[in-house]
Amino acid sequence: MDLRYSDEDREFRARAREWLQANTPKDPRPAGGHAASQFDRDWQKKLFEHGWAGVAWPKEYGGLGLSGLQQVIWYEELSRAHAPPAHVSTTYVAVMHAGPTVIARGTEEQKAYHLPRILSGESLWCQGFSEPNAGSDLAALRTSGRVEGDHLVVNGAKMWTTDAAHADWMELLIRTDPDSQRHKGLTWLAFDMKTPGIDIKPIRTMLLDEHVNMVFFDEVRVPLTAVVGELHGGWSTAMATLSFERGLGFIADQLELFEKVGRAIKLASEVRGADERPAIEDVEIARRLAAIKAETMAIRAMTLADIAETDRTGMPGPKGSMMKLKVTATHKALSKLVSEILGWGFFEFDGDRSNNPWTHDFLWSWVFSIAGGSNEIQREITADRVLELPRSR
Amino acid sequence: MYLAPEGDELEIASAAADFIADALPIARLHEGSGPDMGADLRATLGEMGWFALALPEDKGGSGLSAIEHALFFREIGRQCGPADVLAQALAADCASDEVLRSALVAGEYGVGLLLVDGDAFRLIGPLDARYGLCVTPRSAALYDLSDATIAGRPALDPANSLAVVSGLSEPVDTQTGPRGWQFGQVGTAAMLLGLSEAALDLIVEYAKVRETFGKPIGSWQAVRHTCADMAVAVEGARAQLWYAATALKEGRGDAPAHLDAAKHLANEAALFATDSNIQLHGGIGVTDEHNAHLLMKHAALLSRLFGDRNTLLASLLHAELED
Repeated sequence: MDLRYSDEDREFRARAREWLQANTPKDPRPAGGHAASQFDRDWQKKLFEHGWAGVAWPKEYGGLGLSGLQQVIWYEELSRAHAPPAHVSTTYVAVMHAGPTVIARGTEEQKAYHLPRILSGESLWCQGFSEPNAGSDLAALRTSGRVEGDHLVVNGAKMWTTDAAHADWMELLIRTDPDSQRHKGLTWLAFDMKTPGIDIKPIRTMLLDEHVNMVFFDEVRVPLTAVVGELHGGWSTAMATLSFERGLGFIADQLELFEKVGRAIKLASEVRGADERPAIEDVEIARRLAAIKAETMAIRAMTLADIAETDRTGMPGPKGSMMKLKVTATHKALSKLVSEILGWGFFEFDGDRSNNPWTHDFLWSWVFSIAGGSNEIQREITADRVLELPRSR
Repeated sequence: MYLAPEGDELEIASAAADFIADALPIARLHEGSGPDMGADLRATLGEMGWFALALPEDKGGSGLSAIEHALFFREIGRQCGPADVLAQALAADCASDEVLRSALVAGEYGVGLLLVDGDAFRLIGPLDARYGLCVTPRSAALYDLSDATIAGRPALDPANSLAVVSGLSEPVDTQTGPRGWQFGQVGTAAMLLGLSEAALDLIVEYAKVRETFGKPIGSWQAVRHTCADMAVAVEGARAQLWYAATALKEGRGDAPAHLDAAKHLANEAALFATDSNIQLHGGIGVTDEHNAHLLMKHAALLSRLFGDRNTLLASLLHAELED
């Protein structure tokens, strides 16, 4: 075992830190709407133009081809610089899911078209997987695609589609074989959001935002050239995306949490409680903060252990689900604690993340432990794949 | 950067696992072999050089690092091994007198851990211990117990004897600096990790074979999900311990903070895993013949040594960390 960074890693960190210090936007990201997605596109374009886009992507597709460890360094430096975080950006699905899926399963034409547009911020993507009756049980999905000549005709509804109103493309997973069950007979499409026949209805959440949507499809015609991977082989294509999400996809959240505890400790030294003393002088608050700090240290150690193992073997391990359980539990504990430290200021919330990031974070903690596979599903995956317990279903 | 045992580390771990499972199996605690190491086993461990693993070579040790020290004590923990194994190793490291040191390395004298308890001391270790080691974050002191009064007390944890010691004279040797404390933290955190892993293994194996309502209990989510939570706690404690032991080996400035976090997470993981292991076993889990209570009682004891929850959290809060 060793904790040493190579000269190359250290040089990379120094270069990233210097560039981020000079180039991090001075203004905060707008709360939502077109202004937020434009902000994200501009930041992605800037990263692209200065050679920082696609840290995880192979070099041959325009990425940086960084090792896992250098990706960790990059996300640590983003967080340290208070740069726009990768995981709350409308570019997230494009850069973290769609791009890697197209790289893994796309045709040469699909790669040539989509990948440069994703890297430069020209294409934003959303994810059309979940449905009103297919969330945790994704394989129950029913949105259908009927083959007619060289087209598919799509009917049905997708749900929880984040940023559908701003996206140019959607990862659309549908049932193309009407007689199929469960994981068979599905197809993964690169769906153009300008196609006629779709209707986007925002879902207002308890965060007072309208980032997630329902997307309805009524006789929507999609050329078969939009299929990524095999027709009726969409589950395999979709799994390429999900394993990415549960493996490397949460690095940014993991490392930001580490940084956030430092901010919470600072906050607790400044905010005074009902007895006029700084909150941190309360022994219970101090202990809870320190316990959360220890958890974030473990999360960082787990991240580095996992990344180093993957860098060595080339194979991501089955521990992504355990990571998500730990990260979401720690995130919830921290945001709940800060909600108590903040006193009445906690209740001043208008839905704008930049006005009251801590209250936003508190509300987000439930989204975090449900989206991308709820914690209950992550426990199932851990029981199946890590502990190899008898199946529950 | 690599944070899992590799190369020679794996060989040491595997040699330790084989030897300890044979010489010090947890089954001994059901077979009336008594608490602590006992003189015979102490001599055998000494002969094999296990007490001198992390002792510098110029002091007659193997000169290995905190990593090998952790790998060895993880195996001790897995078998619910007694805390005087650690006391013996730390005492040898503390002793500046060459004759005394080699006697301690050889296991000729028994050693227990001394803990301040009001006006007296608690002894964790054999009642006939010749030496007692009292370790703080700043120093370690070795006491000759020959003339002290050692009053044995009934012990909750059958792995170790418990006593109250009074009438201590001045220490025969003192080691200034945090080395004893830090290796004590690595050792106890590693034992707690081994205990946690043993508890998780026990319940996972049982959940595959024990049936209720016509199905293995491991297929019920009430059982599966708690097992998954145990696995997450153990994974976090393990990763942080590897990080901390490596930080200590490499002499990083933030090693003390990482050790405090590692001990805290090992405390929490072991208390949670050994508790859940009993609960998920059901009735059999509370019987004396089962190992579950042995793990829980030993975890409770070790979680008080080299930093309990409150002292560890107090020192962690403002600790600075490096990249």
